[in-house]
Amino acid sequence: MRNNAFWLILQKLRTPLLVIIVTYSIAILGMVLIPGMDDNGQVYHLTFFDAFYFVSYMASTIGFGEAPFAFTYEQKIWVSICIYLTVVGWFYGIGALVSVLTNETLKRELMRSTFRKKVLRIQDNFVIVLGYSQINAEIIKKFHKAHIEVVLIDKSEERINHFLLESLSVDIPMMVGDGLLTDTLIDAGIKLDNCKAIVSLFADEEKNLRISILTRFLNKRVKVLAKSTNQDISHSIIDTDIAKVINPFEVFAKRLDVAINSPHLLILENWIYGNSDLSDKALFLPDGKYIVCGYGRFGKALQEKFEKNDIPYIFIDEKRIAPKKMIESGTFIRANPDNKDILIEAGIQEASCLIVGTKNDIDNLSIMITARKINPDIYLIARENTMQEVSIFQEAKIDWIFIIEQIMVNKTSLAITKPLKHHFLNLLLKESEHLANSLVKLLRSNIGDKPILKHLAINKEESYAIYHEIKQGQEVKIEVLQHSLSNWQEINNVIPLLIKRKDEDILLPKDITLQIGDELLLACDKEGREEIELIASNIYELHYAKYGKEKKVGILGKFFS
Amino acid sequence: MNLQKVIAGFFFILAMTLNFGFVYGDITHPELHNVYELFAALVVSLISTVLKIGDKTQLGSVLLASSLVADIQLIAAVTVWTITEYVSVVNPEAFSTIISLSGGALLANIVSVVLYIGETLKSKR
Repeated sequence: MRNNAFWLILQKLRTPLLVIIVTYSIAILGMVLIPGMDDNGQVYHLTFFDAFYFVSYMASTIGFGEAPFAFTYEQKIWVSICIYLTVVGWFYGIGALVSVLTNETLKRELMRSTFRKKVLRIQDNFVIVLGYSQINAEIIKKFHKAHIEVVLIDKSEERINHFLLESLSVDIPMMVGDGLLTDTLIDAGIKLDNCKAIVSLFADEEKNLRISILTRFLNKRVKVLAKSTNQDISHSIIDTDIAKVINPFEVFAKRLDVAINSPHLLILENWIYGNSDLSDKALFLPDGKYIVCGYGRFGKALQEKFEKNDIPYIFIDEKRIAPKKMIESGTFIRANPDNKDILIEAGIQEASCLIVGTKNDIDNLSIMITARKINPDIYLIARENTMQEVSIFQEAKIDWIFIIEQIMVNKTSLAITKPLKHHFLNLLLKESEHLANSLVKLLRSNIGDKPILKHLAINKEESYAIYHEIKQGQEVKIEVLQHSLSNWQEINNVIPLLIKRKDEDILLPKDITLQIGDELLLACDKEGREEIELIASNIYELHYAKYGKEKKVGILGKFFS
Repeated sequence: MNLQKVIAGFFFILAMTLNFGFVYGDITHPELHNVYELFAALVVSLISTVLKIGDKTQLGSVLLASSLVADIQLIAAVTVWTITEYVSVVNPEAFSTIISLSGGALLANIVSVVLYIGETLKSKR
């Protein structure tokens, strides 16, 4: 049965209820049988109703007195027995009820049933977030901005309470429970049609793998975003076909690669993430030797990129051992990097760039201070593990800070809230610096430093006019959206970036006929965005944008045309 | 032998028999119907209801439901009796209502006993 909480209460209260019924009936029966005496000295018997009335207020210790007449001694003897019988039974019952209501299991059960109801009541698409951490808090905020509902599960009640305290004035279904269990996931609505994704960013990456596999079997249509920095686990996660791995180290290594090869792509990326605008100067990394502190998973991800780009490098790490070949070739020093002599030995004086990437933020800061003293011109790249210390890192005048948590927040939220943007970004990363450079220039000269990204789907809901036109067999070119509605001759500040179709993607489309089901991504300014929406949804505006004249309507229109 | 089953069966059947004992007799003759028997029938019926709580099977739910029906019928009968006795006079009309209400409870009790016996027979095989 669905309502577990109710049954739990009833079952626990079985014995107390029996005790109350039995003691009451004994007391009532006794009161009825024992003869009393009325005011005139006549013998009388209490009726069942009199007895029930008296016992009810006696047992609950309310005690209105002896009714209907003062009791005889026989009655008083019986009453004094009954007091102990019924009052004890009654208190036992109340005590049992209270203990059931404060029972942990029952509380869980109650919480679970309200949680389940809340989840079922969600109308829109929603995302399940596992665990409440600082990263997930940021992600939840971003989801809310994008009007995506969130369901939160955390193992610890304390953290759920914490969320309630600092909650962002939103009411999201949340539950204390182990997200690694199938039951919990089903309660969270993983089998529902409008559950679109599940976010699993546990530090223990085995858990993320487990979630991916469970989800694969529970509901194939749910996307999984899982954190993994370990290669084996990553492969297993990807093998589930529905999961996407988020590896912050790999993300940064890729960015470094992009920065080396095509700095303008990085500008575009930052703009799409909303981190900065297009006016940023392209980041040109210095040529020369790179020193990297830390040779963990992060170091290895970097090494791959260095080798790809033929950059000389040297790693310093105290705990991990590199392959023998590296030690012999002098590209690895096994020592504590936070040491002046070691840094000099690694060649900090002539190196052009220092990447500090250990797990410990304070170590990272300390190494950088030392390095700056020896070589003031060195280009510093620092890893910051948590978002809590942002201000200190900013104070340290580091050339490029990458915050692991920030990367994960951006990656995760963009993949879910703006899948088209994410897709565009992935396509861009495969393109050349030349294209990126010209795109940045084009965007800046036509629209400005902060173009807006507009997403438009060709379907009945979002773009009625275009849908209608295509249905009637008319051709609609993408350029239609660029026309100004105040003067047809003029072109609005709109640049189409991407058309996504079922089987192809068209980057920077020109002279393309739109099809139903297309998803468009356009860069534009505010005015441009308004007019795109008008053209897409209003038949008359579309007609004007297409032909440059007003659409004629009604009988008169037919007559003249 | 299972003591719990004995107790449960005892109360289920006792609820039915007491109920029958009260209902048996001419419906318009109050002297043929004992108030103590009605009291006992109600108490035993309540006890058997509590005993039926906790069984979550399909049959358990039907047993509980029939028991609840019996309780409600009996409580209604008692209430009618009390009200008519104190507010007006217990005339044959009111009394036949009391008896027919407990007659309904008897039917519910029979259903629950039949179900209970059926289940026992089934589990034996």
